Amino acid sequence: MTQVAALARSPNRTAIRAVEAVTLLFFGAVMALPIIFLLVGSFNTAPPGAAASYGLENWTRAFLDSQTLSALWMSFLFSVVRLVPSLILASTAAWLIARTDMPGGDTVEFLCWLAFFVPDFPLTLAWTLLLDPNFGFLNSLAGVLPFVDGPLFNPYSFWGIVWVHLGTGGIWLNVMLLTPIFRRLGATLEEAARVAGANTFTALLRITFPVLSPMIIAIAVMSFIRGLESFNVELLLGVPAGIYVYGTRIYDYIRQEPPAYGEATALGSVFLLVLAVLAVLYRRYFQGNRKFTVVTGQGYSTLRIKLGKWRYVALGGFILWYTIVMILPLSFLVIGSFMRRYGFFGINSPFTWAHWQDLFGDPLFVSSLRNSLVIATITAVLGVLLYSIVGYLLACRRLVAPALLEFFCWLPWVIPGILMSLGLLWVFLATPLRGILYGTVWGIALALTIHHSPVSSQAFKSAFLQLGGDLEEAARVAGGSWWYTYLRILLPLVAPMAATVAMLNFGTALTSISTPVLLYSADSRPLSILLLEYSFTGEIERAAALGLLITAIICAMMLIGRRLGLRMTSPSRQEARPTM
Amino acid sequence: MSEALLNVSHVVKRYGDHAAVNDISFTVAPGEFFTLLGPSGCGKTTTLRLLAGLETPDAGEIALAGRCLAAPSRGVLVPIDKRGMGMVFQSYAIWPHLTVFENVAFPLRVRRAPKAMIEKSVREALELVGLAGLEQRGATELSGGQQQRVALARAIVYTPALLLLDEPLSNLDVKLREQMRAELHALHRRLNLAVVYVTHDQSEALALSDRIAVVNQGRLEQVGTPVDVYERPSTRFVGDFLGRTVILNGTLQNEAGESFLDVEGQGRVLAPSDARFSSGERLRLLSRPEDVTLLPMGEVGRNQVVGRIEQVAYMGDHLEYTIAAAGRTVVLPAAKKEQHAIGAGVRLGFDPARITILPR
Repeated sequence: MTQVAALARSPNRTAIRAVEAVTLLFFGAVMALPIIFLLVGSFNTAPPGAAASYGLENWTRAFLDSQTLSALWMSFLFSVVRLVPSLILASTAAWLIARTDMPGGDTVEFLCWLAFFVPDFPLTLAWTLLLDPNFGFLNSLAGVLPFVDGPLFNPYSFWGIVWVHLGTGGIWLNVMLLTPIFRRLGATLEEAARVAGANTFTALLRITFPVLSPMIIAIAVMSFIRGLESFNVELLLGVPAGIYVYGTRIYDYIRQEPPAYGEATALGSVFLLVLAVLAVLYRRYFQGNRKFTVVTGQGYSTLRIKLGKWRYVALGGFILWYTIVMILPLSFLVIGSFMRRYGFFGINSPFTWAHWQDLFGDPLFVSSLRNSLVIATITAVLGVLLYSIVGYLLACRRLVAPALLEFFCWLPWVIPGILMSLGLLWVFLATPLRGILYGTVWGIALALTIHHSPVSSQAFKSAFLQLGGDLEEAARVAGGSWWYTYLRILLPLVAPMAATVAMLNFGTALTSISTPVLLYSADSRPLSILLLEYSFTGEIERAAALGLLITAIICAMMLIGRRLGLRMTSPSRQEARPTM
Repeated sequence: MSEALLNVSHVVKRYGDHAAVNDISFTVAPGEFFTLLGPSGCGKTTTLRLLAGLETPDAGEIALAGRCLAAPSRGVLVPIDKRGMGMVFQSYAIWPHLTVFENVAFPLRVRRAPKAMIEKSVREALELVGLAGLEQRGATELSGGQQQRVALARAIVYTPALLLLDEPLSNLDVKLREQMRAELHALHRRLNLAVVYVTHDQSEALALSDRIAVVNQGRLEQVGTPVDVYERPSTRFVGDFLGRTVILNGTLQNEAGESFLDVEGQGRVLAPSDARFSSGERLRLLSRPEDVTLLPMGEVGRNQVVGRIEQVAYMGDHLEYTIAAAGRTVVLPAAKKEQHAIGAGVRLGFDPARITILPR
């Protein structure tokens, strides 16, 4: 009898079912309802607050508007174009870390892990400091060359956006997902191929990659879907150049005067359909290939491939890539935050503390910091409370509708933050809770908590599954009631996971832009939105300081967490990074 | 047998169409060591879990000390934590975040025992299992054998009405297993607790039990003392499961008030009288190899059957002969001094008191 099955059967059915019903109702209210509102709202031609009148105008306008269609097309194009270099770089790095004798492999892995947590908005900001046609450092540098006429680089372009994404979280996430896969594959399959007469390269091409192809394809599909919802880089770099993806287009519709809710919801609904189809295909593919992937668990061997002299080349290549996409921009973020006027190195005393002093002296900063801390704390606490119960429910396999609960948990994974916020905005406006949720820290925290459901619920689920049923059953037979057992045995045992989830949710809440951007008000503005405002109003030095501050807080938190030994199992890695 | 402590009657547990436990009934007397023995997947662990309340029966009734624990037909189902049982899990299920002391104290804490009593009982229980002095150890710092002892101490610390043991020795290495087996035996004698023990290891079952129930495919094949089930197995399955067997085919004959089994004309063996069988019926003779004597060829006497040596294997401390007899093959151990050539005729001597007659 497996332990999983054992956990399933200790009877306490009525209680479990009651909790399940409440959880489903809650998810229904905060997930299904926004989407229904979104769909219904897309047919509502009246502005919010006015009496509803239904018609197809929004849809026809959305489809006839070339901007809408081009936004969808750009989202698709960006995601596809980014996919190939991202996968090649990530699988090469993962293979080098896991399967070769490249020196410093562990350090390289750690650097990738750390880079994963660097929020992408400050990083993008840093790239504008480097590449801006007017004041970008690299452009000034290139301008010295005799044959260069005018700015050489322009980040406010299609390729600029693609370039910046080569250093943002998605690619590091892929490294982190692929490394354990390569590691688990072990050496035996490759060795068998070598014995059979293949050289290292042939073995890699004919054995390693084909065996791993289901996993790599699964990761590719995931990257693609997540690429579609990318928002921050496109907002900072695309909008000035008139390049809109669907996320920034929705943002534009809502932020314009008067807000075009109808078009925004129609666009969101179209996208929802595309995502739903993709998600169904992905899940089906993933489930169909489970057996294939299990095979790789056998025959663990740690023998690594000897690269000879090439191992230094490999390490050098990695250092070069890392320096260019991480260290260089972050260094300029530091420099930028200390320059009197960014880009003007020639003026008298070009360096100053003034921007940092301005930042800390700005009453907006103080209130935003407070808001951010409140939001992040609520998100972390709420996330642990909610998803520890959801995780337990998912692990206990005694549910009436386990598939429905799983569905809800995965839903925010395919629904971009901005779309979910749009739906929640409708719900907040329409319910009696409007006063508590609309434009408040509570509303933002709720939206963020929902957005974290895939990682958080799966993390707790895997923690509970790992515990097995015996520990719980032993406590029950020994005479403990279910609640006593939950508090004394189960919760303490999943405490490390709870701390990890709390920390990740805290960090994500601190850096998220796309989720709060439609929900905040002047009273609940978080730091990330303040950063957005600084960079839009041209206060780039202060924005650099704030971006750096946020980056430093996140990285420090993650390093402390790592030191404390908080674990992160593979399912939790899937979205476990600040979405900024 | 004294009045039963545990009464299990006609219990059924189904998973879908599959009946994991199919109409099982047995009783356990106070202080009795009762073993459920069977191959994996036979339903023995499920039966134990039904007793603990970790599973709910689909039909039947379970009663402990006159109190009904589960009776689906009457809607009775006592929750797990209200059954007052002690249980040792196969994986021990030691809570890794608690010390040895806290692990053992748990059953007393949930029963809100006074602090002084908890201290005293835990110390006594740990002394009993030989872990005195390890109270403040973290549970994960223990070896497998020590964890097993903690699990045992935890199960007996509040003197449960019934002690349930789910293959407690199966995760230990051979040497430790034998040692723990002896200690378990001594502990049972000392505490005089009623025990329901689940195992797939026949030697464990034979050495420890007052009575053994052999489980096969969700049913009890035979319930009896170790001597009963080993020497007089009531089915072929029981015979095979509890060790090696010698099986020959024969026909029942009645002669001068005595029953004989005529073994295919190769000899006759006195059969225990059994009203189930009538003269002329084709039956099967079952005995344990160690109860069969191997004799050189000579005049075939009573209770002897003729055979021929086919193979001999050198086993170090003894020899093992493969013998063709009455159309079947039997394997018999023999002392090294008993030399028989391959192809030589031999006689197999049976002890009528140590054979079982079964239908074919």
